[in-house]
Parts: sequence; structure tokens; C-alpha cells
Amino acid sequence: MSEHKKELAGKPEEDKNRRGFLKDMGAAALTGAAALLSGSDEAEAQATWAEFFQKNYRLMTDAEKKDAIARLEERYSEEYGKKVTVDGSPAMKDVLFGYALNIQKCIGCRRCVHACVKENNQSRNNPEIQWIRVIRMEKGNFSTENMDKGYPKGEGDKMYENRDYGIQVGGNAYGPAGVTLEGQHYYEPEQVPEKEAFYFPMQCMQCEKPPCVKVCPVRTTYREPDGVVVIDYNWCIGCRMCMAACPYWARRFNWGDPNLPKEEMNPDTHYLGNRPRMRGVVEKCTFCMQRTRKGRYTACVEVCPVGARKFGNLLDPESEVRKILERKRVFRLKADLNTYPKFFYFID
Amino acid sequence: MQKKIQFAIDFISYALKGDKRYYTWLGILGLFIIPWAYGTYQQLVAKGLIVAGFTDQITWAMYEGNFIFLVGVAAAAVTVIFPYYIYHYKPLRNVVLIGEMVAITAVIMVMMFIMYHMGRPDRLWHLIPVIGIFNWPHSMLTWDVLVLNVYLALNIICGFYSMYKRYSGQPINDSFYLPLVYISIVWALSIHTVTAFLINTMPPRPMWFHSIMPIKFISTAFAGGPALIIISLLAIRKYSKLDIPNEAVNMLSQIVTWCLGLSIFLIMSEVVTELYPSTEHSFQLKYVMFGMFGLSKLVSWLWVSWLLMIGSFILLLIPKVRKNYNILPIICVALFAGIWIDKGLALVLPGMIPSPIGEFSEYTPTWIEIFNTAGNWAIGFIIFTILAKGAIGIMIGEVRHPSAVGKAEAHH
Amino acid sequence: MKNIKLSIYVLCFLLLAGLIIHKIGYSQEGAQPAQQTPQTEQPKQEQQPQIVTDCFESRENYTKTQRVENIVPKYGWPNVKCSQTTGGVLWWGDPYDGTIPMGEMPALDETDVTKGDYAKEETVVKPREKQLMYFNLDPNKNCTLCHDGKIVPFPKDKKPRLLNAHQDIVANSMQLMHGRAAFWCLDCHNPTNRNRLIDHGGNEITFNQPQKLCGKCHGEVYVDWRMGIHGKRTGSWVKGGKKRWWVCTECHNPHTVQVNRFNPIKPEPAPVLPKGMKNAAHEAGHGHGAVPAHKEAATTSAGETKPAAH
Repeated sequence: MSEHKKELAGKPEEDKNRRGFLKDMGAAALTGAAALLSGSDEAEAQATWAEFFQKNYRLMTDAEKKDAIARLEERYSEEYGKKVTVDGSPAMKDVLFGYALNIQKCIGCRRCVHACVKENNQSRNNPEIQWIRVIRMEKGNFSTENMDKGYPKGEGDKMYENRDYGIQVGGNAYGPAGVTLEGQHYYEPEQVPEKEAFYFPMQCMQCEKPPCVKVCPVRTTYREPDGVVVIDYNWCIGCRMCMAACPYWARRFNWGDPNLPKEEMNPDTHYLGNRPRMRGVVEKCTFCMQRTRKGRYTACVEVCPVGARKFGNLLDPESEVRKILERKRVFRLKADLNTYPKFFYFID
Repeated sequence: MQKKIQFAIDFISYALKGDKRYYTWLGILGLFIIPWAYGTYQQLVAKGLIVAGFTDQITWAMYEGNFIFLVGVAAAAVTVIFPYYIYHYKPLRNVVLIGEMVAITAVIMVMMFIMYHMGRPDRLWHLIPVIGIFNWPHSMLTWDVLVLNVYLALNIICGFYSMYKRYSGQPINDSFYLPLVYISIVWALSIHTVTAFLINTMPPRPMWFHSIMPIKFISTAFAGGPALIIISLLAIRKYSKLDIPNEAVNMLSQIVTWCLGLSIFLIMSEVVTELYPSTEHSFQLKYVMFGMFGLSKLVSWLWVSWLLMIGSFILLLIPKVRKNYNILPIICVALFAGIWIDKGLALVLPGMIPSPIGEFSEYTPTWIEIFNTAGNWAIGFIIFTILAKGAIGIMIGEVRHPSAVGKAEAHH
Repeated sequence: MKNIKLSIYVLCFLLLAGLIIHKIGYSQEGAQPAQQTPQTEQPKQEQQPQIVTDCFESRENYTKTQRVENIVPKYGWPNVKCSQTTGGVLWWGDPYDGTIPMGEMPALDETDVTKGDYAKEETVVKPREKQLMYFNLDPNKNCTLCHDGKIVPFPKDKKPRLLNAHQDIVANSMQLMHGRAAFWCLDCHNPTNRNRLIDHGGNEITFNQPQKLCGKCHGEVYVDWRMGIHGKRTGSWVKGGKKRWWVCTECHNPHTVQVNRFNPIKPEPAPVLPKGMKNAAHEAGHGHGAVPAHKEAATTSAGETKPAAH
């Protein structure tokens, strides 16, 4: 964007806004706050004015969507010093995205976590926002020496310390084994997989009945026709109801201004996907919308070095995911909550 | 109209006038505004919520806790309105207005805390129906927004209507006023019920996810709120000419006693239900009661709060103690603090620990968060002081429209 | 008199408030440096650490790839982005970078559920031959540089014997870690044309299509692989879209597969706990290798009383 052109385009816009300012005092006060809140760089301020008053993406007309996208493209391109495209393509016809993860194969290398960050323009430090969490689960460790020992004191479970609750004496199967709530999130061994552990990656499950969508007071988060639960970052008020309601801890919040170095920025973005976010809004996995709506696998599927991650169209009986559902033992995480995730775990 | 403007001017100018003690009190509260202003600038303008102690693991904390607690305080106005209007318990006559002022203040504070809790307070207009999207009835938060705003309006209308009528020496129009009062009684219950529903409809947070929550909220509210009213009544009685009969205070302290007893019973039920089977769902309660995996920052807070509540309850059961107006305010402060900890810290925070996928971590509020919280409370106290002062002026007849001076006070 | 009393009250209140604030914020000291770090880290970010360009895709040392800038000019993407700590590829700018057509893949039989799938798709693989060190000693002769029947004579039979070469690949040829002693090198490697593999029917198979050989024994996995359930694909998820299929030896080392189906690799860095937060004692392994805290607890907790904190 040349300086000259910006100047030409900028002036009348600004004037119009200024007149609006005088006209509507109430709105002006709000807008002033908005300008304050999001920095007052000249070019940015302009977009901020228009962005501030834009509707929820879901309710925009096609023309309004185009405007919003053009505005963002210009702003991002300027901000990140390269040509940034913001895709607004709608859900593909007859597509319902589904995901399957082979829990038996995952080695816990966390490449998916970092691939996701490379792809999705998350804030990079303090802390780095990550949409995937891999949890280390112990296979279980039982020994004959402990066979005759008394009622175990579950670690950190002070209630049982030195107490016999009359249930039994002896026994040694009290250690955590398999999937427990006390898995380790910050494991850092020399090498993975470890002999005594397996790993359990979690991310947004793209529920068919998403609790997060239900609790959102402004419907900024909603389910797209292809089954992906998305957020209009420009409409989010940052109340974090969705974060509290999500049973899978899949949502992250931009506590401060996101920091995304120019050279790290992925210029291929989607409006509802990986476009750079702003302070004070929630974000989450969108099944790499900017890729998958163009037909490409998600970044985490592509990066998994053991091929534990599978992605495809649930409506297509020939798709990888459907074949897995047909042939493998599959489960959904926390099925008791009736959220109907489209993210399946399976074992061979 | 002229009269109404005159009313506003008289009310405010009376409320802002006072002796040295009055200004000292306001001045002390005002001191909290200085760090508050700094914190507010940092959080709402300069840097965002990152200056607070929240993380993705613990997304709701200090502000949310205070918000929940204050909704209870707001609802507690019903403890004076109900006996007065339903049972026609006359000694509460002068207390009703104070109760309404507490409610107005508490709701304003609630809204302030919500503002601080929001990531994008500049986009609050997205909530306004028609120009924004109001996800009602699906979102519990929209219910909360709705009931709180209506409750604020009801209390402002009821409180200021009756004050205005007294000011101008006109009789109260019962067919207008009483229905509003009755609605506000039910509404008071609804605000705290909805706030309970706000958090107890989330299965991933087992500590919140039980049906005892609404009644526990209401019972703790009806213990903590009247305690605050008692403290202010005793202070008002001491420092102003307003006559508050002993019966009024006694009535309130009885309500406090029984509601506190009920709260303790409900807490006990919860503890037994959670700890006897001791499933993974009890982790959050166990964390806050005993600490888990080396994390125990909240443990002492919780026990202090329960001890305060149990201790106050036992003391309040003794009629002699309850009617000793030197000890009563101390007990009230203790149980108010106890309930504040129980609802503010020991309820909201452990709902986040462990996270739904089992991560145990601990939160520390930052100074800015503490500044803002303290400042919001100070502002609340300032608002209440001013409103109560004005109301007292009306009640003792020092604020009167010239045309009403000398007229017998209207009865209803 | 009253004023004195009042001021005492006020002082007490302030003292109490101060105490409470101090108590709440007592671990602030720990949190402060964590909050300041971004400011000190920012300039570091701008300096840009040396970008890792020597990467591996899946199997360390056998799926090497080089980062090349601006392979996708539209977005200015490199072909790959790699981990700064392990060199593992984290992200593909071009999922088909360096691939060739997969070659013929006949249907398994008439009932082959995988047939239709493959027939309609454009399928590519990354040539394996480029990854093999000995194969690339000579660009033309490849393995026959030595295994030409003269320098190294052709073996007379498939009987296992101790080899003095290629110990880097198979440490002890008498204990091949594949097939549980049921077979030996020459069951897969063509004895007379070492540039090719060979199946039990005597058909020559190139190193680029190891699946044709592996599938002969591992039929069930092979069917899963052809359906996309086993193994990995990159590129387009769309039915009929262009896909890169990852072949067996990109993940499995056929010479040691009996020990490790997938050779262990260094994991990527753990997430960072924000703001100097404290986390559970069983995360204590963080930073110094895996210390399975539960294991420790299981062995020590039964006997004596042991504090939960490590």
C-alpha cells in the first residue's frame, strides 16, 4: 500500500467519521474508548472506526463481508509488512469435518502443538498461546513390595493420609494408571515415547452440541455448516463464559495485546480462522479453516510424525475418518457430557 | 418537573454536606481511588487483562468472585423489604430505604466488577438487543444481565419514588408502588438464583455443578447482606439523628442467624456428598479444603472463612450476644468477611483448579487487580454513604420541598 | 476524644487491609520477573536466532530435508519450517516438495476397498533412495559400486552369517531386529541386484516403494495404510485431491522395528506456565527429564508419611 494512495483514500473517510462523531455523542464516546483501547496509529485508527461498528460476521451481507475483509487485508498487510490475504470462503457443500486421533500411536512429541502455532498466528510469548495440549499418562507402576502396605495415601490427597477408612488393608493397585485427571502437562523427557507412559493430545473437539456456543451471550461463537465451531473475533466481548463452559479446556484468551513477529506471521488467513487476533478476545482451534476449506489437511495432521492424526469429511463414506469409524474401536472424550464431539479417539 | 429537579439538587447537596467525621470517612475511601485509577488505566486502557493475575487455566478469579458476592448483597435488600411489606413489621420502616440503597449500590458495584472482568468492555454494546445480539434465552449470562438491570431499575424506582413522595409531602400511590415492591421481592431472589445458575450449569466444573448452589447462594447472601445492613444501621444510629428501633436490628440479626445456620448446613451437605465417595469430581473441593499436589494457597483462607461463619453462628445463637450492640457489629464484620472469602475466593477459584483436563495450578492476584478490587469497593462505599446520607435526610425530614414543610408525613 | 477513637479505628483498618493485601499478594515477588520477561525478550525476537535449515521429517537421519526459502511465492513460504530445538519439521509450506509420482499400485483383489480410492487420486511419494547413505555413494552405480559380484561376491544362500560391514545399520547381523529371527537381510534385499529390494516371489521392488515389500507380510497394516488409516498423508484431504503418501520406511526403521516401531525422538518444548504460576507437584519432572512423580509416590507413600510436595 503506497503512502500516496493511503492519503487519498484516508481523508474523506476520516472526515465522514469526524462528522459522525459530532452527530452521535453516545456512539462517539464509545468509539473514543475503542480508539484508545486499540492504539491510535493513523492508518489503524481508520480501520478501527469501521471495524468497531461492524456487525457480527454471521449476519453481514456479502458486501459487508467483502468490506470487512478488504479492511483487514489492508491493515494486516501494513502491520506485518507483507501481502496478507484474508479468506472469507464459506463452508463447502456436503462437508462435515471430522477428526480421529490414534491414541495408541501418539508418541507425545508435541510437534502438533508447535505446528499449530506456526500455522495459526497465535501470540508468541508471555506465554505462547497453544491450542493443543498433550498430556502424559502413566501406564501404571505396581510392585510386590507394596502388596501388604496399608491403605495408600493418594498423593496430595491429605484426607487419606495415615487413615484407614475401613475399606481394606493392603493392596497396591492404587497408583494412577492409564487415563487419569492427574496427567502431566509439562513432561520433558530426553526422548519420547517413554516406556512407562502414553500420551493424550487434546484440542477443540468441535462438538455438535457445543456448550461454549450455548453460553455465549452475544453469539460471537457459533457452529459453521461444516461443523466447525468458530469465533468472530471482532464481536467477542471477552466475558470468558465459553472458557468456563468448555469441558475440554480448548479455548484460549488474549490477555494482552498479542505479539506476533512479522517474519513468523502466516499471511494465508481466514476471517474465522487464523487471522491475527486482538487483545481481550477468545480463540481456539478451527480445524485450520484457512487450509481445510481450500482442501488441505490441517497443520497438525500434516506434522504428526507417526500419522496418529486423521482428518476428513464425515459425510463421505470413503474418507479416512469414516473408515476409521467403521473399522476401529472409537471413543469420544467425556461422552457423558453429551457434547457429541467430532473429534474421535481410536485404537487399532 | 421543577419539583423533581429541586429534589435532586436538595438530595445531593444534603448528601454531600457533613461534619468533619463524614469528610474523613469519604476521604479515607477516596484514598483507594488513587491506586484504583492507576490500575484501571493499566487494565482497561493501556495493557488489558494481562496486568491481572488471570491465565487460561484460571480465567475467572478476583473480579468474578466479588461480582458473585455482591449480587448476594444486592439480593439481601429483600430481607428488610419482605418483613416490612408482607408482614407489615413496622419497626423496619426506616430501614427499608437503607436496604434499597444497599441494593442499588451493590448492583452498581456488580456492574463495575463485570466491566473489569470483561476482555472487551468497549464492545459491551454487542449485548444490547436490536443493535447487538442478545443470546437470550440460551445464555445464562444474558439472563443475569437482564435480571440485574431490571433489579437495579426496580430499586431505583421504588427507593427514589418513595423518597420523592416523602420529600414533596404527597401520599404514596399504593397501586403503583406496592406491585413494584412485590415484584422486587421476587426479583431479588431471581438475581441470585440466576447468578448461581450462571456457574452451576457447567458440568466441567464439578465443584459448581450441583443443584444446591442456588439455595446456598441465597442463604449465604441473606446472611452476609443483612450483616452489612446491620453494621450500617448501627453506624447510622450512632452518627445521625435517624431513629432505628432495636427491634429492627434484632429482626435482621435473627434473619442473619437462621440464614447463616442454613448456609453452614448446606456447606456441610456439600462436603459430605463430595468427600464420602471421593471421586475425581471432588478434587476441586479437596483442593480447597486440604490442598492437593503441593498446592494449598487457598486452604487457610477456606478454613478461616468457615471458622468465622461457624463461630459467628454459635455466638449469634445466644440472645444476649445477639442483642449486645457492641459485640453484634464485630460478629457481623466477621461473618461478612467469612462469607466474602467463601463466595469470592473459595468458590470461584477452585472451580478452575484443576482445569477440566486436570491441570493443577495456582493463581496469584496482581497488585493492579487488588488495587482495582479495593477501589471498586471504596467507590461502592462512597456511593452507599452518599445515598444513605440523602435517604436519612429525607427520613428525618431535613430534606423537604418548601411546600411540604410542616405538613404531616404521609402514611401508607 | 471521639476523633482519637476514630483515627485509631482507621489505623486499625488500614493495618488490617495492608496485612490482607500482603497475604494475598505474598508470592507477587515470584510473579514480577515473569511479567517483565517479555520486555527483555522483545529485542531478542527482533534479532532472529539462526533459522534451522537442516531438518528431518519423521525418522531422524533418514527423512532429511533442507529448508528452502520462498518456495510458495504467493505467501512467501519456505518449503518447511523446522523446530529450533530438535530440527523436526513442524510445518510444510509445500506438502509436495521433493515428491515423485508413487508409481503403480495395483488393486489387491476385486473386493479391495482401497482400490477405488487410489485410482482416482493423484498420489505422490518422497523418494526414499535419496535418503540412503550407502545407496548414494555413487550416483550411477549406487549399491552395485561394491555389491557388483566381484568386489563383494554375491552370496550363495540366505543363511544368516556374521557381517563385517554396515554395522551402523544392523549392529549384529546374527540378531536382526526384524521378524524375530524368522528371516534375514536377503529376504528383502535382492542378492544379485543390491539396488533393489526383492519379495518372496522374486519380484524386484525399488527402495521408493517399500510398501510393496512390507505389505507382503504385514497385510492387515498394509490394507489400513492403503485406506489412509495407518501411516500418514499430507496435502489434500479432499477425495480425489493430490496427496503425498508416506511410505513405510519414512517412519519405521526396518532393521530395528522389533525394538522400536518408531525410534524415540526428542520432544518439542513443554508449554510455559504463565506469570510464574505454580503447578502441581507431579509436574516436578519439568525441566530435568521425566521424573514420574506417581511412581515415586507409589513406592514411598505406602511406608512412611511423606509430604506431598516434592
